[in-house]
Amino acid sequence: MHIPDGYLSPIVSVGAGVVTLPAWAIATHRVKAVLNHRTVPLLAIFAAFAFTIMMFNIPVPGGTTAHAVGGTLIAVVLGPWAAVLGISMALILQALFFGDGGILAIFINCMNMAVALPFVGYYTYRLIAGRSPLLSARRVWAAGIGAFLGITAAGLLVGTELGLQPILFSENGHALYSPYGLGEAIPAMLLSHVLGASIVEGLVTALGVAYLQKNHPEYLTSLKNIVAGGSVAEGQVTRRPIWQTITVSAVIGLAVLLICGLITGGGDPAKMFGAEWSSVSWSDVAVMLLIVGIISAALVPLAWFALPGRLKKTGAWFTAGAVLAPLGLIAPGFAYGEGSVDDVSQAFGYVPKGLQDLSNIFSAPFSGYNVPLGFTNGNNSQLWRAAIGYEISGIAGILLVGLIVYGLAFLITRTRRTTASDTPATTEVQPQ
Amino acid sequence: MSISVSLETAPARKKPKQKEQLGWLEKTLAGIAGSIEQAVFTEEHSRKDGWLQRIDPRAKLGMFIGMVLAASFSNSFWALAFLYGLALLAARFSRVPFDFFVKRVWLGIPFFAGIVVLPSIFFTPGERPLAFTVGSWVIGPTLPGLVGAAIFIMRVAVSVSLAVLLVVTTPWSDLLKSLQALHVPHIFILLLSMTYRYIFLFLRSAVDMFEVRKSRVVGYTSGHDQRRWISGSVGNLMNRSFKMSNEVYAAMLARGFTGQVRSINTFRMTGRDWLALVLTVALAAGAVIARRFL
Repeated sequence: MHIPDGYLSPIVSVGAGVVTLPAWAIATHRVKAVLNHRTVPLLAIFAAFAFTIMMFNIPVPGGTTAHAVGGTLIAVVLGPWAAVLGISMALILQALFFGDGGILAIFINCMNMAVALPFVGYYTYRLIAGRSPLLSARRVWAAGIGAFLGITAAGLLVGTELGLQPILFSENGHALYSPYGLGEAIPAMLLSHVLGASIVEGLVTALGVAYLQKNHPEYLTSLKNIVAGGSVAEGQVTRRPIWQTITVSAVIGLAVLLICGLITGGGDPAKMFGAEWSSVSWSDVAVMLLIVGIISAALVPLAWFALPGRLKKTGAWFTAGAVLAPLGLIAPGFAYGEGSVDDVSQAFGYVPKGLQDLSNIFSAPFSGYNVPLGFTNGNNSQLWRAAIGYEISGIAGILLVGLIVYGLAFLITRTRRTTASDTPATTEVQPQ
Repeated sequence: MSISVSLETAPARKKPKQKEQLGWLEKTLAGIAGSIEQAVFTEEHSRKDGWLQRIDPRAKLGMFIGMVLAASFSNSFWALAFLYGLALLAARFSRVPFDFFVKRVWLGIPFFAGIVVLPSIFFTPGERPLAFTVGSWVIGPTLPGLVGAAIFIMRVAVSVSLAVLLVVTTPWSDLLKSLQALHVPHIFILLLSMTYRYIFLFLRSAVDMFEVRKSRVVGYTSGHDQRRWISGSVGNLMNRSFKMSNEVYAAMLARGFTGQVRSINTFRMTGRDWLALVLTVALAAGAVIARRFL
């Protein structure tokens, strides 16, 4: 997320000082008022702390690693203004001495990561935590969600800044700086954050606050004014049972989905997500649910027992996902970007020529994700029959992809092993 | 042959699972070691007797800002190439190891800036000299796309080279002090130099924590355990930060700290410094303006 020099017009990167410089001035003033002379060593050491935890690689599900920023954690404990100064110092040193992020870009990098991030994180945390006791589990959740939103907001800002470049600074039709418009830069930054860095930041912040609650509660209670913005009860360190957490998050997730559906459907429950739900025959759906249930009851345990140890959990989840996928057939209308030529012509009234050419090049054996048999694909085939066809083609596809990947992996390891055994004298271990 | 090598090649060792398991630890350790090494390396070069090392740090900062601004504002490939040539010359006269300077810049840039800019080569509208057709699609790099990408990569390369040059030829304490010339408040400079000093202490503690963990844990740990351990160490480091800041404050009070920051300023701009500054800024301005007349 550190923008290097050259990606942005200097007008933008130096111009960000309009936000950053006053923020630094206010931060110095505010922090001095709270902590007087103690400020200097405290901030210097917390900046060093911020720098150090930015170097930590955190294991992410899927085998890669990501970095944390730790801004929200510092903001929760020391307040957002102290976090502004601490993270700014760390960022300036990274740019000056370690080449991470540009030097002209210091202002804009500090605006994104040292001003926007801790403020969004901290105020989300305060909003969710409310007046709950200092050592309650709710504050752990609040800090985690705050951190998630804080770093996502920073990513959104970076995407916007990069996306504005070709709009503001172009010459003869070609972009002078970062070449991607808002339409590409914002989704790229948002997606990569929401699916990766933000989750990590949220997890680490939540676990970090939980660690402080359990082992060093004095930091949360002695700085009560900052942590909670007033006097609240200390409370006890609580551990919420995992089923409660799952239930609460499931209910919240469903509620959010429902609200989104109502908004997109214009407030009419029969038109949720903009689809015409009255055209669905619910008895068909019931039969289909039954069939899908039976198939998943058979396949998921099979996957669990058939797969080797380390793949068990992931494999079973994937199988469940694949089996449940045909439930999407219930929704009236076609999936975005997946429609066939007929669907497209129905929806838009014409067929783009390129699409027509392309669709004739390759006709798949299971076209339309269905088995070309009268039973599953007939003109008046019922929903549940289509679902069975969908299931069969899906499972065949997964097996096919699995076989190809397995075969390739087998070939690669085999060739590597033979070359290794051919020349045993040269198998030096490369230092990592 | 060392023990680790013979273990690696031993036939009984079937799957290299441990390596995957400890990847995140080793990555962090390597990253920390890299930054410490870089800091040591930088200090070493900043004490050499070269052209840039002899120039007053404030003049150097001014030269750097002038050059970087010129690189950011100029839109022609040749102007950027000229600026890069100047940076190479300066590196040569300042005894910065040539292969280090060139390698460090050009190994990093194709990976980041290059990958970022690659798709735009194909999507920028314009003439396509090397195109092939698939169905009704025409695929190939466009001329404006290629020109834009070359300028973009060159600009990032010049900016990065200049930053490397500034940092490698200036001791960090001088560099921080020179920020006073830009009217950065004293308190900020004090904070920055204290932070820089404590970074190495913290990096050292982090290395210790990671090495201890690495040497005492065998077998498979789940991702959840790993993340818990990491956030535990973040919390632990935070605790140490609090304690240390109290101790440092007590020590500062004991030595008469009153909140006033004073620093000794021993810098003196000589005629040579002024000459270098004026000449560089003129060249930088020339590189930007030249385009208007060519």
